[in-house]
Amino acid sequence: MTSRDLTIAGYLTVLATCVVLQVAAVRKPQQIPSLGRVFTHVMRTRTGRVGVLVAWAWLGLHFFAK
Amino acid sequence: MGDWAARQIRRHCARADAFRYVCPVTQAAHEAGDDQLTAPGRPVAITPGQAALSGLRQPLVGILLLIGLCSAISGKPLDGFLMATVAVLLAWDAARARLRAWPGYAGADSARSQAQRDSTGAPERLGSRWRPARLTVTTAGIAAALVYATVVGDFSRYSWPVTIAVVALGCLMIAIAWQGPVRSRPALTGRPLRRTWLWALVLVTGGGWELSSLLQQPDLTTDSLAHPTISALSDPVLASHPGRTVFLGGWLLLGSLLAGR
Repeated sequence: MTSRDLTIAGYLTVLATCVVLQVAAVRKPQQIPSLGRVFTHVMRTRTGRVGVLVAWAWLGLHFFAK
Repeated sequence: MGDWAARQIRRHCARADAFRYVCPVTQAAHEAGDDQLTAPGRPVAITPGQAALSGLRQPLVGILLLIGLCSAISGKPLDGFLMATVAVLLAWDAARARLRAWPGYAGADSARSQAQRDSTGAPERLGSRWRPARLTVTTAGIAAALVYATVVGDFSRYSWPVTIAVVALGCLMIAIAWQGPVRSRPALTGRPLRRTWLWALVLVTGGGWELSSLLQQPDLTTDSLAHPTISALSDPVLASHPGRTVFLGGWLLLGSLLAGR
């Protein structure tokens, strides 16, 4: 396994963990919060809301803007 | 005995006065939408300078300024300018909320009532007025998103047209977020709240993995074949019009989900 493969495997592992967590949250909402509920919690203040939306905007800027 | 009773009465009255003084402060700060600014049990008498410092002390302001600086020195001055602008606006807003929370501030009562209208009015206003037309709005939104993704996806990356389109939409969404939540949702409590660390751990691990790849590049602007970042891995997909359109569609979907929180 090359370094490149290992790096990509790391990303895929994180992604798979997110999927597993989300599925677990949907199956047992009283035990684990879904990602949407976590974002709702983070975005209950203006600072949180703006922070999350800035992160989203940054994604668009990073991939497309000058 | 008489002196002791008098001292107790004076102490009680002082506490009662302090309570009356503090309660409007914390309430107004909550109403202003920033829980971080509230300091229960501490009377507030602040100058504009102290209010400005309290705004700058917010963690997100520092993080945004740091991101802005890193973006600027890595060849993305527009990113840096926008991050710094939002950081300054957040600091200014926090300072203003702190200043307005002080009962001695001129117009504190009107500011509090305005903050109360802001905090409670948006969900009801949007909920009652928009509910009958929700299907129409959703359909129009999906159509607009498809047109946006198709048209903007046709522009080449890092060109001025795509930059203007992305910056305009980003600013619009941040302005919407600034107004308050679109609809009210139940708060996270109990065990689910205590287990939010699971998500934090996964997301921080992902960010750390990306950062380690970035730091193993020859330099910040040259991709590494052995340690590719997510940006480097997505380059082949974003090289084509369909790829850019799909990516932009996903970005818009994510933004609409977040804005609805």
